[in-house]
Formats: sequence, C-alpha cells, structure tokens
Amino acid sequence: MLMQIAEPGQSTVKEACKQRVVGIDLGTTNSLVAYVADASPAVIAGEGGPLVPSVVHYAKDGSVLVGKAAEAKAVELPRETINSVKRLIGRGMKDVVDFRAMLPYEIEGDDRAISVKVSGTRLISPVEISAEVLRELKRRAETSLGGPIEGVVITVPAYFDDAQRQATRDAGRLAGLEVMRLLAEPTAAAVAYGLDRGAGPAGRYAVYDLGGGTFDISILKLVDGVFEVKATGGDSALGGDDLDRAIASGITNDALSIAPRGLVAQAVREARRVKEALSDAESVEFHLHVSSPAHARADVVGGSPGMTIVHELITANAERIYTICGDVLPSGVARLTSDRTTCVGCVRAAGTFVRTIDRQRLAAFAAPLLDRTAKACRRVLKDAELEKSELDGVILVGGSTRSPVVRDFVTALFDRPILSDLDPEQVVALGAAVQADVLAGGQQNVTLLDVVPLSLGVEMMGGVVEKLIHRNTTIPAGATQTFTTYADNQTGFDIHVLQGERETVDACRSLARFMLKGLPPMVAGMLRVEITFLIDADGLLKVLAKELTTGTSAEVDVKPSYGLSDEEVERMLIESFDFAEEDLAKRNLAVERVEANRILQATRGAFASDAALFDDPQVGQDVKTAGETAMGVLEAAINGEDHLAIRHAIEGLDLATKPFAQARMNRAITAGFQGVSLDEAEAKMAPPKGREG
Amino acid sequence: MTTGRQADAFALLGLPARYDLDADTLEQAFFARSKELHPDKFASRPANERVAALSAARALNDAYVLLKKPASRAEYLLGREGIVIGDNERIDPALVMDLLEEREVLAEARHAGKLDEVERLQGAMKARRKAAFAELRTLFADLESDRPTRLAAIKGQLILLRYVERYLEECDSALDDE
Repeated sequence: MLMQIAEPGQSTVKEACKQRVVGIDLGTTNSLVAYVADASPAVIAGEGGPLVPSVVHYAKDGSVLVGKAAEAKAVELPRETINSVKRLIGRGMKDVVDFRAMLPYEIEGDDRAISVKVSGTRLISPVEISAEVLRELKRRAETSLGGPIEGVVITVPAYFDDAQRQATRDAGRLAGLEVMRLLAEPTAAAVAYGLDRGAGPAGRYAVYDLGGGTFDISILKLVDGVFEVKATGGDSALGGDDLDRAIASGITNDALSIAPRGLVAQAVREARRVKEALSDAESVEFHLHVSSPAHARADVVGGSPGMTIVHELITANAERIYTICGDVLPSGVARLTSDRTTCVGCVRAAGTFVRTIDRQRLAAFAAPLLDRTAKACRRVLKDAELEKSELDGVILVGGSTRSPVVRDFVTALFDRPILSDLDPEQVVALGAAVQADVLAGGQQNVTLLDVVPLSLGVEMMGGVVEKLIHRNTTIPAGATQTFTTYADNQTGFDIHVLQGERETVDACRSLARFMLKGLPPMVAGMLRVEITFLIDADGLLKVLAKELTTGTSAEVDVKPSYGLSDEEVERMLIESFDFAEEDLAKRNLAVERVEANRILQATRGAFASDAALFDDPQVGQDVKTAGETAMGVLEAAINGEDHLAIRHAIEGLDLATKPFAQARMNRAITAGFQGVSLDEAEAKMAPPKGREG
Repeated sequence: MTTGRQADAFALLGLPARYDLDADTLEQAFFARSKELHPDKFASRPANERVAALSAARALNDAYVLLKKPASRAEYLLGREGIVIGDNERIDPALVMDLLEEREVLAEARHAGKLDEVERLQGAMKARRKAAFAELRTLFADLESDRPTRLAAIKGQLILLRYVERYLEECDSALDDE
C-alpha cells in the first residue's frame, strides 16, 4: 500500500518539474537501477533482466564489456575480467591481504590505494572499474526513461568507511552522474519494506544484509514514515563471495589455497552454483574440471624455496584428491611426490573431481563465517540497547540470504519473524529510488534519520585517539571539544582526523591532517584550541579549529587520504597527465617547509628557555652542539627545493634532540600532583589520555 | 560537548522542561520535529534555507541526545540552574576509597577470568544504578521543598552515577572478551 502525497490537481505540475532521478544499488556481484513512477518504486530492466553483473572485461583491443557479456569472458580470460571490485574500492593493500590470493586477476598498490593489473601491464583503479558499471546502469536508465539522468542516489554498505564512500562518490562522478546522496544499503531496504506496508506497522526491525562482499546489520525503528537507524555495524570485508570460497575450500580440503587462479575461480563459481541449487534440492554434485597438467605446476608458485609442502591437491585424476608431498626448489617450483604422481611441478592427466554435497555439509562449511555475522549482530543489539525479543522482525537483504543455510542461521540467531517477501536483490535499489525522489522534491512522507557508522576523533599526545563523535550518532551532527598545547611556545597545532573504534592512531583510519598556524607563543597548556566536527546529512565531515584567545581559526572539508585524491579523479576526468605531478611536488615542498619552520622555532625556543637541562648528565652539552648542527642542516634544506631533503633533515633534528626532549618530558610529568580527585586517581591506574578541558 | 547549546533543548523538542519524561514521549516529539526539519526536505530549496535546516536539524539531534537518557537529562536541568558537573568533581574521600576498592575487586575477577563473578558484580551495580535513578525522581519531584539542598543532592547522585556507568562499562568489556 502506498500513500498519495501530491494534492489531486497538483500532481501534473509536480510531475512536470520533477527531475529525472534514480537509485542505484552498486553491488559486489550484481548492480541494478530503479526509479519512482507515480509514487511507487520499480526496477529498470534491460537486456536479460534488471540485474547487471558487476563485472568488467578489458579486451586486448582496448574495448570494454560490462555485465553479462563481461561475465562470459571470466572463464577464458580471468585476468582481464574484473569482478568483486567493490571489495577493493577505497582500500589499501593491507586491507585485502585475506582474499588477495583468491582473486582471479592481479592487483598491486600500497597502503593507500589498489590498482588492478590488466593484461600484465595496464593499471586500472577500482574507481574507474566501478564507473564502467555505473555507466552501463546510466545507459539503461536513460534508454528506459527517455532522457538524461539528472541525479542519483547510490547505495553503499552501512559499514563502509569514509574512504570507501568517497571512492564510490568519485566513481559516480567519473561515470557522469550527479551523486545526490550515498545511502546505507540496510536503510534503503528498510525504506522499501516500510513503504510497501504503508504507514501501518510501526516497530523495530533488524536488517540482515549479506551481499556478495559485505555484511551489514542495522537496527531501525519505523514509525509513520520516519525511519530511524538505531545502530549499525557489520564487516565490510565479509560476504557471499567469502561464503562461496569457504564452501569451495571445504569441499576440496583446502587444496585451493595452493591452486592456480583459474582453477580457484572455477571452484568458487561451482560452489556458488551448489549453494544456490541447494535452495531447492536436498543434495547436489560439485564438479571441478582439471583440464591440463599445467595446473599443478602453478600450484606451488609462491612457495618459499626450501619449504616442504604436504598438501592435498585436486588433481587431474577424477573422483579423488591426492596427497602431494614435495619440496620447493630454489626456482620456486615444487618437486612433487605422492603415491600416484612423482614429477617436478606437474600432475599428469586431466579429469573431473566430483563430490556430493547436502545442506548439512554446506552449513558446516559456512558456519565459521556465519558466526562472524552473529558477533556483529550481538554488538549492534547492544549499541541499540535492545534485546532481540524486542524486535518485531528481521528483514533479509542481499542475494546470499536466499540460501536456506543463511536463512536457517538467521532464524535461529534472532528467533524473530523473518521478512523476505520483497526480492532481496532488488529491495536496496527500490529504497534508493525512493530516497532520490525525496531529495528531488517528490514524496515528502519519508524521513530518514541515518547515523555515522564509525566513530570520528582526533589524535592526541601519545598516539591515542580522542573521539568527538561516536558511532551511531544521528546525522546531521556536531561536536566541540577544547584541547591545549603540550609544548611551550607551540605556534602550530596539528590536527589529525581519524575514523574507527580503536583507541590508537595506527589502528584507526586516517581521514585528514591539517594545521592551525600562527598561534601566539605561550607556555604549554595555556592555549585553548577548540575543535568542532560537523557532519551534514550526507555524512560528510567538516572540521573547524579555533584558538580561543586570539581567534585564529582554520577549517577543512575532510576528504579521506585513502583512495584517490580529488586531483587524481580530476586527472582521470580530463585524461591528462601533464601538470599534476609538478603540482604535487610543489605542494609537498610547501607542506614540509611549514613543518620545518615550526619545528625550528619550537626547538630554538626550548633550547633557550631550558638551557639548564644541558647540564643534566642524561643530556649533556654535546646534545646541544648536535642539535644546533642539525638545525643548520634543516635551515639549508628549507632554502632548497627538495621536500624529501627537508623531511630527512627534520628527522635528523628529531634524533639529535631526543635526549633533551625526553628530559623536558620527564620534568613535565613529575611536575605537580595535588588535590587528587577520583578521576585523577583512576587516571593513574588507566592508560594516560591527553585530553584537556 | 555539543553544539547548538544556545537553544533550549526542551524547547527544541516542544516539551516541558522537567525530569519526569518517558522515552516514548521524547521519541514522538523528536520524530515529529525531524519530519519538519530534516535537511532532506530542503534538498531542492535555496542554499540559505538548506544551511538553516542543517543547523536546525543538528541542534534537534543534539537536544534529543541530551534529553534521551535520564542521567544526561538531569544534568541538563542542573545546568539550567547554573550548576555544572566538571570532570574532576571532588566527592567524599571515604566514597572515593570504596569505589576504587570496588573497581579493584572487579579488575581482579576479570583478571582471574571469573566471569560469573563479573556478572554478579554487574548485577549488584545495576541495582545500585536503579536506586540512584529512583532517588533522582524523588528529588526532582519534591524540588521546591528545599531547592538548594535538593539540587546539591541531585548533583551528588549524578557524580555517583558517572562512576557507576564507568564500572558497568568495564563489566561489559570484561564479558565481551569472551
């Protein structure tokens, strides 16, 4: 049941001014687009139905295929056919170590960003690959709606961090779309369900969303058109893909971990087929075709020379798994020995490996991964301050929840009614279309109260994180806190913005770093710097810093420092590489000079005010001499043009003055402990925090 | 802690300024105001209206957070009376010692992995929290009989509640480890 929102007589006017806007579910496995017509959302079907496989094939001749056509190339050309790119977007190499080996194509990169290596040489970013999928959806929508798309709401897993969100937004931009909003997938699903049932069923619902590559769990309250997210959580690196891999590994006794990519891809596809077939059948046969002896050669590439392999391996010979023992030779190829095969790096015949799988075995293979989702569910219930008995139902979202194994698990976990009457693969796109319509001034009876999925904070002295906005705070939101300086005569205040639940800087994600400059030199602890975090309805963060005695202020719109920079996206857009590198070098130089001058000034000040410390035997006069020399080196570097030279000179100065800095710190710590309150007494027992005021 | 302090939180939600408000009343008021103020409703309006809606919605969200939990609602009401609870409030030294000792008992149980003991301590502390909230209700209901004394007593309960909450957090994290 849907509500009529426009006044009768006004509806034509409204339709006429209404923008052509759509909602897109950009999935790990499949993507689709939906729009609202006559206040009711519907998916847009193209060739072969509404689902577009999120697969992009880069042909040797430079042409690009998307969707089913690309998927058809996966077996023949796995290295040029990119799937599951959603697992890479906005991430760094260290985020993907767990499943890197399981990808049928090659990736490379650093902690900041990943590129997919196509055809052995061409590097393509996940943003560009996602943009290809979005372009295809845009084409479909424009053909179906008969005109250009003016705005889009793209859904993302609720648990995506800012870097992943920013990268998704960039992909939309690159595809020529005006991204009005990124919407959390479970929230979108709840909107679709809420509208489907009219204003009637108020209540609290859990949305269990197991997609291809991500898992989200959200708890929402629905009342009369208001959708309030109470809490959200999940795992942005756990999904149906992992389930398929776990099943494939389970069936083959883990032999896949040393199998070549092509064979892995085949096994994972087959596992997915078996999983889906078990929705109806009681038992299904799993087939794996080992076509050529060359498969075994690649089995051990990557093993360290000298390592001994004792592993079960799927071999060519049908119907069984051989145990293969061997040594990895210095060349990296193993000498394999077993009862049936003794050769260097190859297994003889081709054949098919077959296993019969029933639901019970499937459930056993899936159990460890599903248990991980249960943990996230418990945490979110706790965050929402609810018992599962207080839920009115559990909404199932994502293709993986079609599997009876997953359904049975969720039923047992929550012991609440399951809602799955809307297609779990379409429901997210439908909700996104509704939100697009709301933003374009269409229906006004829907109000979404979304939350920040991960806490936001700043770095404190000692590498700890002080959270200003906690996870599950309703957006838009704001928070202000006052901090102080920790060094005398500090004229700059470094503000490092972080995202995550952990307490230490290195365990959180760095979003931005900026400096409040030009502060009046004062004794440590005297300055008061007020930091304000502002989050808008898009979840975008702005950080403002203000020194309260002088009114000196700075602000920054936070763009995560992971993934692609604005400049890089711009560069892709205009496909020009001319000046960007030079700009980057200039910027680096400017940043380092500022930092260097700040440090020089601070060090000189400290040397002058605390000269007595050089008489301390722990420090000594040679520290002063070494420090002065290092300052000379840094001054020379500032006058040069090489930002790396400045960086090295800063590090040199740090090293030279370390004993002096240590002595100052010790003195500060031992200074003053009077009138202890309980907080202070407890603080002595607990790890130190640097917060003030 | 939060922005939008200039506007009165109760007024933003359209509710009377009092301690005794139940969760449903607060939620209904919050939802009703959100329907009017949410920035999404202004997405296709001129920029100045959008900015105004954004800060109004932010202030509303802050107000709801301030008033939703009874302890923070009580603290906000005290603040309106000019009574602020700082980070390092002194309390009765004997009570400080008691509380520190209790924390130590909890830490020992946790360290020894005695989870049933942690659960028992958690239960006992939850009962204490409940008693503190009951006390707050009584104090607020009868505020006018002796305002300064009652306000001071409310402040005392709120400081105690902070330690109680911290203790309960530690219980949670001890039980979460498993």
